Amino acid sequence: MKAILMLEDGKSFLGETEGLKGERIGEVIMNTVVVGYQEMITDPANADKILVLTYPLIGNYGCSPKFNESDNIWLAGLVIKEKSRIFSNWQAKESFDDFVKRHNLLSLYAVDTRTLAVHLRQKGSMLGIISTNCFEAKELLAKIKDFSKNKPLGLLAKISTEKKKQLGLPGKKKIAILDLGITNSIIRQLESLGLSLTILPFNTTAEDILRIKPKGLIISGGPEEITELEKVAENIRPLIGKVPILGISSGNLVLAIVLGVKLNKLKTGHRGVNYPVQSPCSFKGEITVQNHAYVLDPGSLLKIKGLKITSYNLNDRTVEEIESRKLKILGVQYAPSSPGFNEVHNVFNRFMKMLGRN
Amino acid sequence: MPRRKDIKKVLMIGSGPIVIGQACEFDYSGSQACKALREEGYFTILINSNPATIMTDPGMADVTYIEPLTVEMVTKIIAKERPDAILATLGGQTGLNLAFFLMKRGILKKYGVESIGASVSAISCAEDRELFKKAMQEIRVDVPKSGIATSLEEGMKIGLSIGFPLILRPAYTLGGSGGSIAYNREELEKFLVKGLETSPVHQILVEQSILGWKEIEFEVMRDASDNVIMITSMENVDPMGVHTGDSIVVAPAQTLTAEEYNNFVNLSKRIIRRIGVTGGGANIQFAQNPKNGNIVIIEVNPRLSRSSALASKATGFPIARVATKLAVGYTLPEVMNQITGKTTSFFEPTVDYCVFKICRFTFEKFPCAQRVLNTSMKAVGEAMSIGRNFKEAFQKGIRSMEISRFGFGCDGKDKVTDEELKKSSNGLIKLIRDKIRVPNDERIFYIRYALKAGLSVEEICSLSNIDRWFVDNMKELVEIEGEVFKCRNNKSDEEIKLPLGLLRKAKENGFSDRQLAFILNSKEGKVRDLRKKQNIKAVYKLVDTCAGEVAAKQPYYYSTYETADEARPSKNKKVIILGGGPNRIGQGIEFDYCCCHAAYALKEEGIDSIMVNCNPETVSTDYDTSDRLYFEPLTFEDIMNIIELEKPFGVIVQFGGQTPLNLAVSLLKAGVNILGTSAESIDIAEDRKRFKHMLHKLGLLQPDNGTAFNFEEAKEVAKKIGYPVLVRPSYVLGGRAMEIAYDEEALEKFIKDAAEVSGEHPVLIDKFLEDAIEVDVDLIGDGETFVIGGILEHIEYAGVHSGDAAMSLPTYTLSEDSLHKIRKATYEMANELSLVGLMNIQYAVKDDKVYVLEVNPRASRTIPFVSKAIGVPLAEIATKVLLGKNLKDLGFTKEIIPKHVSIKESVFPFNRFPGVDVILGPEMKSTGEVMGIDKDFGRAYIKSQLAAGQKLPRKGNIFISVRDRDKRQVIFVAKKLVDLGFNIYASTGTAQALDKSGIKVKVLPKIAEGRPNILDLMKDGKVQLVINTPSGRIPRQDEIKIRSHVILYNIPYTTSISAAQATVSGIEVLLKNDLEVKSLQAYHKKRKK
Repeated sequence: MKAILMLEDGKSFLGETEGLKGERIGEVIMNTVVVGYQEMITDPANADKILVLTYPLIGNYGCSPKFNESDNIWLAGLVIKEKSRIFSNWQAKESFDDFVKRHNLLSLYAVDTRTLAVHLRQKGSMLGIISTNCFEAKELLAKIKDFSKNKPLGLLAKISTEKKKQLGLPGKKKIAILDLGITNSIIRQLESLGLSLTILPFNTTAEDILRIKPKGLIISGGPEEITELEKVAENIRPLIGKVPILGISSGNLVLAIVLGVKLNKLKTGHRGVNYPVQSPCSFKGEITVQNHAYVLDPGSLLKIKGLKITSYNLNDRTVEEIESRKLKILGVQYAPSSPGFNEVHNVFNRFMKMLGRN
Repeated sequence: MPRRKDIKKVLMIGSGPIVIGQACEFDYSGSQACKALREEGYFTILINSNPATIMTDPGMADVTYIEPLTVEMVTKIIAKERPDAILATLGGQTGLNLAFFLMKRGILKKYGVESIGASVSAISCAEDRELFKKAMQEIRVDVPKSGIATSLEEGMKIGLSIGFPLILRPAYTLGGSGGSIAYNREELEKFLVKGLETSPVHQILVEQSILGWKEIEFEVMRDASDNVIMITSMENVDPMGVHTGDSIVVAPAQTLTAEEYNNFVNLSKRIIRRIGVTGGGANIQFAQNPKNGNIVIIEVNPRLSRSSALASKATGFPIARVATKLAVGYTLPEVMNQITGKTTSFFEPTVDYCVFKICRFTFEKFPCAQRVLNTSMKAVGEAMSIGRNFKEAFQKGIRSMEISRFGFGCDGKDKVTDEELKKSSNGLIKLIRDKIRVPNDERIFYIRYALKAGLSVEEICSLSNIDRWFVDNMKELVEIEGEVFKCRNNKSDEEIKLPLGLLRKAKENGFSDRQLAFILNSKEGKVRDLRKKQNIKAVYKLVDTCAGEVAAKQPYYYSTYETADEARPSKNKKVIILGGGPNRIGQGIEFDYCCCHAAYALKEEGIDSIMVNCNPETVSTDYDTSDRLYFEPLTFEDIMNIIELEKPFGVIVQFGGQTPLNLAVSLLKAGVNILGTSAESIDIAEDRKRFKHMLHKLGLLQPDNGTAFNFEEAKEVAKKIGYPVLVRPSYVLGGRAMEIAYDEEALEKFIKDAAEVSGEHPVLIDKFLEDAIEVDVDLIGDGETFVIGGILEHIEYAGVHSGDAAMSLPTYTLSEDSLHKIRKATYEMANELSLVGLMNIQYAVKDDKVYVLEVNPRASRTIPFVSKAIGVPLAEIATKVLLGKNLKDLGFTKEIIPKHVSIKESVFPFNRFPGVDVILGPEMKSTGEVMGIDKDFGRAYIKSQLAAGQKLPRKGNIFISVRDRDKRQVIFVAKKLVDLGFNIYASTGTAQALDKSGIKVKVLPKIAEGRPNILDLMKDGKVQLVINTPSGRIPRQDEIKIRSHVILYNIPYTTSISAAQATVSGIEVLLKNDLEVKSLQAYHKKRKK
């Protein structure tokens, strides 16, 4: 079945869909990752986006529940080049197609994703609409406009845990996690550190957090919904300096908002697994996974006493990591993914150190 | 960290001649390294014995030595040049081994030379199996389980504890002989007994079999600050059991999950850190059990490799350049990524396309060799293709291979027809199953037959162990073929009825116009016209290292069928250079060398150079050799697409060897401006009748000849001109199917083969001039002025292909009179053909008469050799001539006859093809060449032999057995050897001849008649040199055995009397004086501006 992706600026791309009919609107973003489509589409950070995968062959190794980053597909839509008709891997439990259908994801394939990606690079990410039933430019553009005016709110409420959840080893060092869209792979890393983890809804207040007496707080990553993040920031403001806090991706944006650091939006965002970051005082760097459009403004950041930039993105010199010993804050814009089987990203070890021995 | 200032002079070691397993990828990496070093201001010293390389061009290094790659010679260069550091990680295994031996013998220490790129400990850790195993266990990386047994009981115990299947490898046997696979207890016992017997030390390695596992490779780089990046993953389509150099490979890996991928990344990081690479790259090979994901490590190469060249070209990341910068102390973030021009080298390339690599084999050259692939590499070259999906890349890859295929079958060249497949007789199905089960170079085509004959994907997978994802992709192609077939024309001149949607789908999946025309019973031109009319045109996408995320400054291009074209044709004057495609015997690095020089010359002239080639090993496909690079197959369709887009001023076809020359006529017909010698003249040179006519007009001699389409006609011709005759097909390179027939019986056999290769063209039959001296002349012309580049005298007598023969420049036995005749004939023919560009002429001189054998109006294989011998860049000058300059203005008007002697010697792949006779003939068999250069013939010859890997003796025993004709001449050879202190062994007949002349000789019995015979002596290392000329048309069984043992035990040998004479004079030099080293720059000092 023919379908269309119409962008806000009037550029359109034809493709095909199967099964699902309808329309989906969202910000169109691209990710350059080669493997990890299932992780990508189940990552809450991509909620409400229309995701374009630049790697053209998708579905080759099928899908398996163990690769889910969350229990749902949060995307508005998916745009790819070629969907593999079979899958081949010993771990696969179902085909990509079945997985996508089961989760009602509107996916557009047979699209010239390269041209789409280059267009987004040149024009910046923008809104778009996938449609199976209407191909009229005017009508589609009107729908986009309408959407951008009345943008639905309450995304974090949908994504975040409804109730407090207990994970990890009870009785061990207690860490509170504010769930703004946490991923399973981050939880796995924290679990392997032998911690007691309390997952809290996104709107938990500072008092409620203090009440559970955590040794530290982690503000998870998730969608970069600035208005909603501002509310979270207000909630946790009293905790600054009292509890060591690790902010991850959008969690780091929350920290920035609390501290009064300006946020800048990138033209296309950093979305892929090959971003180099480097500390300003070392030759040693690290290749990181990133999935963010907002970055901290270095000028306003450096005005805050005791706050340091500990890592830059090497490609465009944007801020990727901040730290303040005084405020007991550690923040990463990149996603601290596990470097490999059963291993933990170093930022978690650094956070553990910040918590001290007890 | 900034670059190291404590180092001033760096010695680079090249990889020597092109051999199977070590091809021109090391010229590519070496020349990138030279450029990177000089950019940093280091004084660069280069040694390599291969003259056909770009790296040995005088401008690439500060000092260039074309000398044998032996510890002795390199030591001399070190003593003379006193480098501070040695960079050995860019010269393949040869370079790495040399550095290792220099270290072991204390030479590096003595002269205070540091090994950069990979430390000596890193090299040892990767190369020494025991150290490696221990290191891997330390970091918890599994190696295949194994144990060494010295008795049956021990072997059974080890074997049973590992589990079946098991690989058994007897220790210290050559070339893996005696190895076997045991699937059960009974077989294990049987093979253990046999293996222990075979091994001279009664040792056998019992190893876990990982046959059929997935083979996954990672290219990794690490700098001195411990920054590590992955360049790309690669997945071998052929599973474990086929050498990765022979395997079909895709990049990136297609069937790994993100979790698996990350595990491989993590293991790779641990491995490169443990091995201790502190400024360079490594290739890491893993095997993964497809059933449970278990991973074992196969090997690590702490150096640039064939795979890293492929990874470079697949992603755009210049690994060799970056590795060199890291070796001199930079960190990855300090090195710019030149492709994007914006980012640093500290990032991991990502792709938005599929890369496919397929290997080129030349089994047809070695008919006695088994057409089977295993763990010993046999491929002579490779082609790389890029597509937006696997199917497109796969089909483009097949048509890049230069095996006159146009995709995945259905191109009119299938061995098994559709009708046969429809019937699918039991015999055919069995053949198909066998061809899929046992890896071979035609396996993919048999997979197609299997799919067409109705075998299931599952069955094909279980037979081949090829992942079902790949097989299913192939099945999709067969299905599309079926859909297209439904629209087939009844008559070929009908309009094409193919729906546009299907046409587009076929093109998106890589079908060529030629395939579509065949399926549709139409013509290629018609399909093309239809496509153009319907605007279904190829568009070009970028290899930009970043999947489009950053606007790239210096990308390269591949074609695909998508919506938007990203090509950026310039408005400048531009010229397209057609490259030579994959390396194969007869067409190798020499032609790539010429193409690169054409690009350099165009740059100098301010004209945009556009390169089209598909060989990932070459310098021509480097991102900065030309202004724009199209990584495309060299077929009419693919080239025309580029020409129509770029609209160049002209196309150069004369530098890429026979591949582009074969396209000249069809390109010309399509209205393309072919630069240089006119197509008319090319036709005169290639058309036998017109050629004969020209010679007649000029009063030049030619061996009597004729043409024939079948045996009857051939018999007539042969009768007329008299035996022996030389039989060969038209329009081939490298003497394909060329043979000398001494009688009718042989003629009949040869005609059949030749007619097959020749196709619609006639077979050529020439009178064979026995014992004539062959001469190659390379010359250049601008239409008015013609200058000989070099006259090369073959050392072997006529009958040995010029690509295989050793040659001397200047000539060493020809009379002044003959030389005069050759020069006169050369200039007359050049004038007659109005030569513009390069030309090669082959002559035979017999009884003071000069015969013209062949004229090739294109760059020849010897251009780089001649250029280096005379110190003039012929290909570059020729390019400028093609653009309309004249030789007078370019300052090259007089033949240069150098004072020093240069010898070209060939190297052969016989050790890869057990059982193949090593005799040279009219069919070319060599894979590469070396150059020996010195002040006289003897010295230059011995250097060429050393460089070719012959370990010529200074003392010991020499075995001589020659045919009757050579017996008179061998006396002189033997006498000299005795004078030099050697003992002579000889066969009965030869011994008699020598004995009569008073030479002391020990007679050896025929192999069947007594022991110890010659084979026993060879096995025991008691023979240091074998001189054996074939006794006649049908070699005696003894001779074949002797010659195969020569290869097996790596004993120096010669198979012609003239080569024996040269060898002896070389040995004389070796005994009397020490060889000295001298740089190319020193040889050509005077000629410098």
